[in-house]
Amino acid sequence: MRPFLVPVTLLLLAGVLWSQRWPFHSPVVVPPAAPAWASDPATVRHPTLRPDLKLASYTYRCSTCHNLFGPPPDSAPTARSPHGIVLKHGINARCLNCHHPTNRDAFVDDWGREIPYNEPYRVCAKCHGPVYRDWLHGAHGRTNGYWNTEMGPRERRRCVECHDPHQPPFPPMRVAPPPLTLRMGKQATQMERPEVRNPLQIYRQPAGERAAAERASGSVAPESETGKVK
Amino acid sequence: MAPTSEHEPLGPPDEQRSPALTRRGFLSKGAATIAGVSAVAAALSPLRNLDPADRPTLEKLLQKHYKEMTPEDKQRVLERIARQVEARYHVRPDVQDPPPLKGVEFVYALNISRCIGCRKCVYACVKENNPSRAPEIQYIRVLQMEKGSIDVEGSNHHYDPPQVPEHDSFYMPVQCHQCSKPPCVKVCPVEATWQEPDGITVIDYDWCIGCRYCEAACPYWARRFNFAEPQVPAEELNPDMAYLSNRPRTKGVMEKCTYCLHRVRRGRMPACVEVCPTGSRKFGNVLDPDSEVSYILREKRVYILKQDIGTLPRFFYYFDERGSRYHEPIAPVGPGGRT
Amino acid sequence: MRRYLTFLWECMRISFVGDWRYHLWMTILTIIALIGLYAYCEQLVYGLVTTGMTDQVSWGMYIANFTYLVGLAAAAAMLVIPVYVYRNMHLYDVVIFGELLAVAVIIMCLLFVTVDLGRPDRFLHLFQRFNFPLSMLTWDVIALNGYLLLNVHICGYLIYTAYCERRPSPLFYVPFVFIAIIWAVTIHTVTAFLYVGLGGRPFWNSAIIAPRFLASAFAAGPSFIILTLQIVRRVTTHHVSDEALLTLRRIVQVAMVINIFLLGCELFTEFYTDSAHVASARYLYLGLHGHAALVPWIWTAIVFDGLATVLLIVPASRGLPLLNAACVLAIFGIWIEKGMGLIVPAFVPTPLGEIVEYQPTIRETLICFGIWAFGLLLYTIFVRISVPVLSGQLTYRKRFGQPAD
Repeated sequence: MRPFLVPVTLLLLAGVLWSQRWPFHSPVVVPPAAPAWASDPATVRHPTLRPDLKLASYTYRCSTCHNLFGPPPDSAPTARSPHGIVLKHGINARCLNCHHPTNRDAFVDDWGREIPYNEPYRVCAKCHGPVYRDWLHGAHGRTNGYWNTEMGPRERRRCVECHDPHQPPFPPMRVAPPPLTLRMGKQATQMERPEVRNPLQIYRQPAGERAAAERASGSVAPESETGKVK
Repeated sequence: MAPTSEHEPLGPPDEQRSPALTRRGFLSKGAATIAGVSAVAAALSPLRNLDPADRPTLEKLLQKHYKEMTPEDKQRVLERIARQVEARYHVRPDVQDPPPLKGVEFVYALNISRCIGCRKCVYACVKENNPSRAPEIQYIRVLQMEKGSIDVEGSNHHYDPPQVPEHDSFYMPVQCHQCSKPPCVKVCPVEATWQEPDGITVIDYDWCIGCRYCEAACPYWARRFNFAEPQVPAEELNPDMAYLSNRPRTKGVMEKCTYCLHRVRRGRMPACVEVCPTGSRKFGNVLDPDSEVSYILREKRVYILKQDIGTLPRFFYYFDERGSRYHEPIAPVGPGGRT
Repeated sequence: MRRYLTFLWECMRISFVGDWRYHLWMTILTIIALIGLYAYCEQLVYGLVTTGMTDQVSWGMYIANFTYLVGLAAAAAMLVIPVYVYRNMHLYDVVIFGELLAVAVIIMCLLFVTVDLGRPDRFLHLFQRFNFPLSMLTWDVIALNGYLLLNVHICGYLIYTAYCERRPSPLFYVPFVFIAIIWAVTIHTVTAFLYVGLGGRPFWNSAIIAPRFLASAFAAGPSFIILTLQIVRRVTTHHVSDEALLTLRRIVQVAMVINIFLLGCELFTEFYTDSAHVASARYLYLGLHGHAALVPWIWTAIVFDGLATVLLIVPASRGLPLLNAACVLAIFGIWIEKGMGLIVPAFVPTPLGEIVEYQPTIRETLICFGIWAFGLLLYTIFVRISVPVLSGQLTYRKRFGQPAD
């Protein structure tokens, strides 16, 4: 009997292995399908670059109404309806800084001459010189198309395709999903700033360890974490 | 009765050993042999689940390294790849092998004053380059950086706020920097990865043996490995392919960003540049003094990541000389100085 | 030629012959090896996703074991140096076991590298485009295979000449022995240089890695040999003197002290500087941002190493029980610190600061056990062959009744 122990054991092992009783369960997590907007190269704004206003399914030319009215007094800082425009352009609070006073189908340059509606960059360039220079050289604003202009057209995006001229700061956007790599483990979605290797975190007030310590000891009244600029 | 050969004492041997085999001995030895062979066969049994496309073929064995292929070889290989992609995804691809353009060295510049961390570049790249979706492979990783620090150790890769940019953060996307002194090229034992004349570091996916030494060597964590068979939905497959860039890979090989080689060698922009909503990404030929990137390298404040390692990357981060984003515009001042 | 084939057949025949303990040992090893082969076939089908490795931690248990075993192989030279360089004849009878261990262990190393490859079906590409001398992996391929061939030649020649009852000609093995001494140091240095040359991994990019490799190898290898020699003494008729064991003990003693000293150097450099470059060391020894999976392992390793060093220094370890305990502690401690304590921490955090921890999967562990079992199987077979042949019990003349010539 004893000589047959080894073969029997090996045959048992063969049987167990052949039966594949423990199939492989892949740890791969199928991430949710990427949202379509996440790979969409469309710009954030789609200006018509024409002096039009769509109102109640009819498209008016700016001059249609504005030829009937005179220029507004200088003391009116914001435009009202029917445009619904809220002007928050920093210290540029006067409509006629950009818009031609008599011909509303055009903009105005520094000498009172007209700038056509489809060349808005010349208007922005009146004040934003360094950005305009960068834009002309391609360092500001997006370039689509071809880097090699001998093989195809280079398409530069114009100012108003990203910036609302009346509220120019680029608006915050939604964020596309974070990475979900293999066996990633639990990852924090919030920025953790515990390790004080960054001196800025020590010296900024009221955020930082110093302020937290002072707050904890009761010597400083609690303030909002992020300070006044949100 | 001759002694069986099972228990051979290690003392003085017999002078004449008769090789008499008893029936018991024959049966036990035969049983042991059969049991051994069947155990080995059973151990090899998972191979019956091997995907037919994965089996080694003579064609694959004889395929040469990309640099040694004649144009006829390349044509045959491109045909084979097109056939395989069509069989698997039911989409007829256009697999090309665009040669490098002369007098071109590609450089990438990224404006960290403008990047808001929306990750659209990540997903545009995924759509363009056919990496696996499950397990997920993304060539671009956007780092949310803590204000005041350039140390990537404090960065967050998994930020997911309702809106970006978040307060007191700046964002630094990282992808393959196509370094001038690439450590990955230095360490590859089979020369499956090398740098092309236009500066792009490429991988021959049919040559890579999957040792992952390049992944360990890369200081920017730019290289990805296919741990499992890549899963790409057929409707999301980009049929405009090239041998060295975005044709579908198999499991067990490395891949990485190739600056969308199939686009840039035809004069177009990479997918990440074209999708960026803020225009933070700039790409071009640094040997052309009129290109966008030449202007940036001349006029802007550029820096590179991990300069101390000496890889000489062709990827520059720059920032504008004035303030970056305003979250609240300055309150307007009226003519009388009142707010 | 016919005689050589007969010799090979004899070797094969005698591997299956033994008492019940031998058969039990070999059956257990065979079962473990076959289970490992099964797990590896699954890895071939599904890809390396069956392991715990990720893009973040792209080298794990396989390379850890490979690194440790290259050290064990190099330590065979530790037996050779006293005998051939210093003429210490206590170890003369046991040198062959060190060389045989080197053969078995190098085969294990090659197997570990093979199972780590994503496309092992393309290994022929190594012969078609070989990035020598830039890639350290190519140096490693040459070094390991050369060392294997050297030791196979030396052992094979000595055993074959004993089988034929001829005196081995010194010309055919002594030069190779001396080459093997230098080559042993080379294989481990080259393996260390695999890691040291990577600027993107500051945990590895330090000059002390290569000396530490050698010191820990020369501690772990002779420890292993001390244990196996006692087993050989017990189950075979081969004579192993206590002086041989004590000479090996002296070697392990010195190597462990050097190893501990180098560990101290490394700890000081990392933690006194406390710069951003020490993130990996912090992860290993203290935990980083709440991730601390390796901390208990490395401290266990340090305790084992420290205990082993102390035990080896005290004169009481001249007695076998304490010596064996010290050897076991040294083997496991060095396995942890060199395997998991060297390979995995370099990947945490990633060069971009992400922390993803590594845990080997069951299949990965089964493959590792399978390769270890296969290596022990090979070594047992080698001992099983060499003891009777070298002692003159199994020779051509005795088997076939006529002299070999």
